[in-house]
Amino acid sequence: MKRSYLGEFEEIVLLTVAVLGSGAYGVAITDELEQQTGRSVSISAVHAALHRLEEKGMLSSRMGDATAERGGRRKRLFTVTVLGSRALHDIRAVREQLWNSILPNTLPAISI
Amino acid sequence: MNPMPQPPRPTPPLLAERLLAWCCAPELLEEVQGDLHERFHRRVALFGERSARRQYVWEVLGFITKPFAIKRQPNPYPTPTNMDMLRNYLKIAYRNLTKHKASTLINLSGLTLGVTACLVIYVITSFELGFDTFHPDGERIYRMVGTFTNPTTGEKSPMGFVPNAVPKAVREEISGFETVAAFHNIESEVLIPNGREKPKQFDQRKHGVDNAEIIIVEPQYFDIFKYQWLAGNPQTALREPFKMVLSEKKARTYFGDLPPDQVLGKEVIYWDSIRVSVAGVVKDWDQSTDLTFTDFISFPTIRASAQMKRSINLDEWNDIWSASQAFVKLPEGATTAQFAPAFRQFAQRHFPKNFNFELDLQPLSDLHFNADYGDNYARKAHLPTLYGLMGVAVFILLIAAINFINLSTAQSVERAKEVGIRKVLGSSRRSLIGQFMSETFILTALAVVTSLLLVKPILTSFQSFIPAGVDINPTAPRVLVFLGALTILTMIMAGLYPSLALSSYRPVITLKGQNALLGNQKGRLRQGLIVFQFTVSLVFIIGTIIVGRQLNFMRNKDLGFRSDAVLVLSPPKGAGNKLSVLYDKVRQLSGVQKATLQVLEPMGISYGLDKVTYKGKTVQTLEAAYKMGDENYIPFYEMKLLAGRTLVKSDSSRELVVNESFVKALGFKQPAEALNKSLQWRDKLYPIVGVVADFHQQSMHEKIAPTFITTVPYARDLAVKLSHVQGEQFYMTLGEIRQLWQEVYPDTKFEYSFMDDTLAQFYEKEQKTARLVNTATAIAILISCLGLFGLATFTAQQRTKEIGVRKVLGASVSSIIALLSADFIRLVFIAILIASPVAWWATDKWLQDFAYKADITWWVFVLAGLLAMGIALLTVSFQSVKAALMDPAKSLRTE
Repeated sequence: MKRSYLGEFEEIVLLTVAVLGSGAYGVAITDELEQQTGRSVSISAVHAALHRLEEKGMLSSRMGDATAERGGRRKRLFTVTVLGSRALHDIRAVREQLWNSILPNTLPAISI
Repeated sequence: MNPMPQPPRPTPPLLAERLLAWCCAPELLEEVQGDLHERFHRRVALFGERSARRQYVWEVLGFITKPFAIKRQPNPYPTPTNMDMLRNYLKIAYRNLTKHKASTLINLSGLTLGVTACLVIYVITSFELGFDTFHPDGERIYRMVGTFTNPTTGEKSPMGFVPNAVPKAVREEISGFETVAAFHNIESEVLIPNGREKPKQFDQRKHGVDNAEIIIVEPQYFDIFKYQWLAGNPQTALREPFKMVLSEKKARTYFGDLPPDQVLGKEVIYWDSIRVSVAGVVKDWDQSTDLTFTDFISFPTIRASAQMKRSINLDEWNDIWSASQAFVKLPEGATTAQFAPAFRQFAQRHFPKNFNFELDLQPLSDLHFNADYGDNYARKAHLPTLYGLMGVAVFILLIAAINFINLSTAQSVERAKEVGIRKVLGSSRRSLIGQFMSETFILTALAVVTSLLLVKPILTSFQSFIPAGVDINPTAPRVLVFLGALTILTMIMAGLYPSLALSSYRPVITLKGQNALLGNQKGRLRQGLIVFQFTVSLVFIIGTIIVGRQLNFMRNKDLGFRSDAVLVLSPPKGAGNKLSVLYDKVRQLSGVQKATLQVLEPMGISYGLDKVTYKGKTVQTLEAAYKMGDENYIPFYEMKLLAGRTLVKSDSSRELVVNESFVKALGFKQPAEALNKSLQWRDKLYPIVGVVADFHQQSMHEKIAPTFITTVPYARDLAVKLSHVQGEQFYMTLGEIRQLWQEVYPDTKFEYSFMDDTLAQFYEKEQKTARLVNTATAIAILISCLGLFGLATFTAQQRTKEIGVRKVLGASVSSIIALLSADFIRLVFIAILIASPVAWWATDKWLQDFAYKADITWWVFVLAGLLAMGIALLTVSFQSVKAALMDPAKSLRTE
């Protein structure tokens, strides 16, 4: 089966959805992303990525609660699907395999 | 909304909010807006309202530039928009039009005919009305004209020209004109010197065929009429004698493709010996104008050239020449009336006692239309004819629209069910009207496009009838506006009533299968329309017959002399004394029956009038026409001698032969009484030796004038009667005459004209009228028949059952045809009653222009009526025969 390609930003968004569990919606995902990665993320880019991931079948969504500060509008809550989970696992497996194959002291040392 | 009352919650910028709502896909809008609001309120708390608002705008922009947010998902249950409904209308319209091919074709051809007629007439009238409308300040430009009062008869005649001396004196003596500019038209062969070789030669203008192009003009002319100067100095170009300005195109004709600068200084020769050098080149006007001049010779040339001075006397106060023109430009706000007193004083000061001439000003816009003020250059358009044409266009379009109304209401039986269903399904009356109008629109638009394609071929095929230069430019804004207006007007005229009628059907009735609403009062309207159409057609038919009769009458009326097979040869001016040599030689030819020398043929465009005094019991002075020839003149033209004898050979005028009208004008009862009476003509007494029967001198518009014929020592033309006017013998004789001509006049081209052709030119205008009326008749009849056909179809359908029942009860086929036709015959009969007086009035008015006319007789109306009846019957019979032959078993079975 042909694996669908996952971009770097998409991968991070997908992971963040997993981090947030049941509370994953646009604003929360953006905030979490900014906190975790330290980079500034535009909300429209997040929405675009979520939309694309849902189209690819890696996310599913349902409409959640409305709050006053949203002007009575409901949130769209996302959860990772099996396909999304497999994609994340696959990526991780490839990375770990690659890390494990690196001989010690090959990478230049960095101070943290 | 949040119910919390106090403090007013900050809100995101409204504009950005709207923009988002408008751009964003509806299914995404809720979550996106929600997220943005959440972030906005958090930012208000953290950074303040201003910053939050700015960021909000940025985020909105971020969304609406992303494709995923804009792209809409297809809605499984879309709300229909206006476009969808319109598409449906068009689809149904298309289906309907293709289903009823016959009536679509009838409608389309009717509309196309009407629209084409309209379009062609629009093109012609806008061309004519557009003459000389492009001059800057054109409303302030006037031509000096006048009215000449005949001192003996007191008759006033308007003149489009003024005495030669007037313009200069007006400029000097009457204040208040911005500019005064005089010019003289001249006619001349043009020679262009070509080094050592023979000069290039351009023929003299043919009157009535070529434009007038050569004028001798004051420099002020260019202040009144603006030209773009390509070379030369406008201030000085025409100051000196023997200078001239050429138009760009003319310069190219004379000198080939030289740039304007190099044309300066080149020489042009007029009147064989007047050498003029070019001092300026101007760009030709590209809009239609009567001022078609291209060779502008400087005014001082007149006094500087002995030859010109002889022919144009600039100090002449007591005579007028049509070549002597003057234009003035009034200052802003001035009126022509304010010059009247000055003109009166001016006339008193300058004109001699017996020369009664009132000066006046004619607006430039009148130049193209007022034939009273004649001149040598402007082609006059007949304004009433133009209005007549517009009337015809409106009528034809109206008939076509009526047709459409008739046919579409006739079809309404079938459409009634559709209307019922649509109404039951919730269609409003307005949208039904929209539907029927869009059907009409399709047809109208098709008709307009078709007629656009037809206009050019029509313009070419009617060339003789349409003034040169008329063309259509479909992309010109004015034409586009007209086309748009025409389409909408036709659509409304043709479509409004049917759509109102159709949309008014009540579904309950129509769906039950009855067509009660199509009853009597609607039928009355259709019948009224048919009556109207046939009235118009009948007026045209009667017009055709009467115009045709008058033309026939004019062609065949005994003119009082014979003009058949008469060839007229006009030798060059000034070489007339050699004419008798030619005369003697031509007479010897075997193909020539007889010949005569003459000054004026009995009937022609030009004629002479002179005063003749008779001293009988009272002294009588008459304005009489004169004809001069040699002793053969009267027998040559086979005029009928009523008393006395013809003229005898003489070298001078010694005796007169007069016509019958002359005798009557003198007060004699019998022609013989006038014999041997003496008439005083040009200070001498001449005896009357003979009286001839009246003969026509001018067209049938004019009465036969008292006329005398005498011999003269000089002659202008040679008239030759040939034995044959066709075939080999004719060409042989013509060749012989040509040879003799070249022996006598080796330098001049051989030219001849048939007298019959010259006479036919008298009736060119009437021929044109005849063609116009014939065309209009054909169109009107055609369209009316189409309408009648539609109505017949309708009635035949309506009465299917009735016919079935009648047949079952024993009616014969012929009785049913008669039954169906009778209704229409009645309509046509009413149309005859209305049309006859209208047509009588119109044709009588037209005939009043003729002194000699074919009277309107009763049988013309009967003939026209029978013709219309015949046409109507023929049209109806298609349907009535079909209906009558129908099997009653079939027609009664359908319910």
